[in-house]
Amino acid sequence: MSRHVVCRVDELPPGQHRIISVRGRTIGVFNVNGEYHALLNRCPHRAAPLCQGVVTGLITSPAQYQRELTRDGEIVRCPWHGWEFDITDGRSVFNPHRVRTRTYEVFVETAPPGEDEDPDADAAGAQLVQATIGPDDPDPTLETYPVEVEQQFVVLYLGQSKPAARPE
Amino acid sequence: MAVSTIRRPQSDDDQSGAVKLSTIDTDIHHGIRGAKDLIPYLSRTDADRYESYGVGGGGNLYAYNGGVRGYRADVVDGQSPGGLGAAATNIEMTISDLMDGCAVDIGLLTGSSMYSAASIPDVDYASALCRAFNDFTIEHWLQRDSRFRFAMAICPQDPAQAAAEIDRIGSHPQVISVILPCGAPRAFGQRFYHPIFEACERNNLTVSLHFATEGSGINPPPTSAGYPTYYAESRQSRPAFYQVHLASMIFEGWFERFPTLKVAMLEGGFAWVPSYVWKLDQDWKALRWQTPWVKQLPSETVFSRVRFATQPLEEPNPPSAIHPMIEWMQGQNTLMFASDYPHWDWDDPRDTLTQLDPALRHRIFVENALDCYPKLRNGQ
Repeated sequence: MSRHVVCRVDELPPGQHRIISVRGRTIGVFNVNGEYHALLNRCPHRAAPLCQGVVTGLITSPAQYQRELTRDGEIVRCPWHGWEFDITDGRSVFNPHRVRTRTYEVFVETAPPGEDEDPDADAAGAQLVQATIGPDDPDPTLETYPVEVEQQFVVLYLGQSKPAARPE
Repeated sequence: MAVSTIRRPQSDDDQSGAVKLSTIDTDIHHGIRGAKDLIPYLSRTDADRYESYGVGGGGNLYAYNGGVRGYRADVVDGQSPGGLGAAATNIEMTISDLMDGCAVDIGLLTGSSMYSAASIPDVDYASALCRAFNDFTIEHWLQRDSRFRFAMAICPQDPAQAAAEIDRIGSHPQVISVILPCGAPRAFGQRFYHPIFEACERNNLTVSLHFATEGSGINPPPTSAGYPTYYAESRQSRPAFYQVHLASMIFEGWFERFPTLKVAMLEGGFAWVPSYVWKLDQDWKALRWQTPWVKQLPSETVFSRVRFATQPLEEPNPPSAIHPMIEWMQGQNTLMFASDYPHWDWDDPRDTLTQLDPALRHRIFVENALDCYPKLRNGQ
């Protein structure tokens, strides 16, 4: 099990995804309607960069010649050869039980830097705090209060199973 | 494994000129970024018309393509407007992504922007567009990278002008073929087209067929049952486009009339070939007397004179069924690798037919293309 800070929560709004490189593999981290999911960026068919495909919904048919778009934003369509995968569980649409890609655990955490954490992400959080004090703001040295800034981060876990006790 | 070398016709960095080959890609779709690319190569009146109306003709019947407007979603650059055909318009990306990234030694540019010209009735305008596209390609692609070769654009609906265009640029060392889009009012074996093939013969160019423009413009419907509704249906009808033209060339006596020409079938797949040649032979034995100028079994003609590109690669179930398919079509002599870059259903050369015996794979990835396109080996 290893822990990797992906980005600040506000850097990955709903409907967006980003592709990161972790320990020699690339992984797509998706925000689907406020829930975070991660997929190995590799299609099991011909090894295409799956997460660079089009993010769409599940198109179903209640009757002949009728198309309905459901679960908008939950399906990624491979950029090569068009196979569709469920972002939430990595399963292919056409054969969910046999054709699937690897998934990873993603959580939102108030991040005290962990051992495996990307140090840049913590620095980015510190910069954000600095940026909130503009040149026209009152000098914070005149009257000070103890302030604790809690920044939420998207955190990815690599491992065989969900972490037993994940940090809060 | 045999080691194949060729001499580069234009090589700045290799004094010996000899290049060892591991992959020849016989179908790369390059194109223009927009009208402005062709304007310098058109007369004022044709340029005005092109800027206002584009190619015209029937357009893309099945615009409901795969991927993103027919491209791989991971390489689409957003530059090519709809109607021009999904093509690699960014030469630097094509070089880094495909030629360098996939270790392609020789890449045959087959266009896409000008296939539609073969479907428009105004043959002078159609010919002008093909000339412009050919000149654009020579200046901006062939001169940029000596690994590129070109299957030049022509308008088969006007054989005289097509032949003139072949004679105009056919001697360029990197021009090794002409493209015939399969959509046509007549099958290509017919004598109407002889001036085109005589010009190919004069210029040592291979005849490449590529599906396109079936059912659009002046061309008849894409199937004998008219226009299928969906893109997936049109893909299934593709082998018939090639089968009709090839049977025409066989039974019209085309291969006897043009004994030096080779034919490449691009982007039609190949699993249909075994049953096709079996049926051709069966019918020739029974009906030989109707076309007595056909001197040998059709399968022998196909195996010696016709080459089939791998893309789109069929995926049989079980996967091992690909092996007898290749054996039955004498794939050691007739199959050539093609990636179809940058289309959404492309085949990555690093991950294509990797389970084959290395010697057979080398035939498919190098040798058979050298046999099919004689100018590849000769340089000139």
